[in-house]
Amino acid sequence: MIKISYATAIFVFCIGLYTILSKRNLFKTVIGLTIMESGALMLIVTAGYVHGGVPPLIPMEGQAVNPLPHAFTLTAIVIGASDVALALALVIKVHRRYKTVDLDKIRGLKE
Amino acid sequence: MGLLLLCLGIGWWLWKGVAAMEDPEFIIGPAAYYIINTAEETGAANIVAAILFDYRGIDTLGEASVIYTTVCGVAMLFSKSKYKRSSAGLSFIARRGVSFLVPFLLLYGSAIILMGHMTPGGGFQGGAVFATVTILLCIVFGSSFEMSRIKPKTKETIESLGGLFFVFLGGVGLLAGAGFLANTAAGFPRGQVGNFLSAGAIPLLNIAVGMKVGAGLSTIFYSMVRVLELEFGEQMSEVEGNDKN
Repeated sequence: MIKISYATAIFVFCIGLYTILSKRNLFKTVIGLTIMESGALMLIVTAGYVHGGVPPLIPMEGQAVNPLPHAFTLTAIVIGASDVALALALVIKVHRRYKTVDLDKIRGLKE
Repeated sequence: MGLLLLCLGIGWWLWKGVAAMEDPEFIIGPAAYYIINTAEETGAANIVAAILFDYRGIDTLGEASVIYTTVCGVAMLFSKSKYKRSSAGLSFIARRGVSFLVPFLLLYGSAIILMGHMTPGGGFQGGAVFATVTILLCIVFGSSFEMSRIKPKTKETIESLGGLFFVFLGGVGLLAGAGFLANTAAGFPRGQVGNFLSAGAIPLLNIAVGMKVGAGLSTIFYSMVRVLELEFGEQMSEVEGNDKN
């Protein structure tokens, strides 16, 4: 059952990777970055699962799951939100200068 | 097509990596220590909050400074934009509906922040809820309404105060001789596990982080939406000019 969760994480990661590699629109690249980040976070949380575990809240009945990946994921979510915000700000700046967010057209303008 | 095959190949490669892993039956390492000792050492019922704000408090301080850096970066990129127009906002029904919802949203955010040491939640999540309230106001009532109700200067002050409060709480541990960001060792009362007043400095740190995240995310959204409205206004005036020609 846990393998399905891993497979989902990898699938989502690959969707994000394909988006980044294939799209020339800068906004779509940022969206791909976000999707890739979600895949990585899913992988981290899944790695903390223990067979038959309960949430790490006291009082616990039985074996708790690993709380350390949850704490790391919280950190990673905040940092991911920060870098997406900064990337979007840069894309807006690019759009103001070149009036387009298409990577090919921006290169064309440069020459 | 080649890119698709490349992605599928990388996915297959990662899958081979995780398929070889065993399903773990127990926890080893620092996580096991945290699970056993959290109740005794910190008094927090939420082990994740205890790890974030006690055992790895300096990590969280670094994380908060990442948000601060982002706010600085976004504000710096958009520093020159002057704007006059504001979005008109949505219809009367949407305005009434949101003004009915806002008090409940504020209550929800406060509950998430203040009970972060007992239940799932904490400063980051509750701060995001507070930022959502300001974003809703910005979208539904227009950005000039949001600016007149919550001034950008106030947001900056709240964010800086949150950061300073966090460092100050860390400094209390330093003064007590227990190290930076020490919790019960620095003399914060531990309380009864599961009570509202428990876990020493963790609720206070939650409040500090909540102030910082809420004000920071709100500032990021506001500076972006301001610039987008400026561009939209320019495009609209261009369209109007074309119509005249």
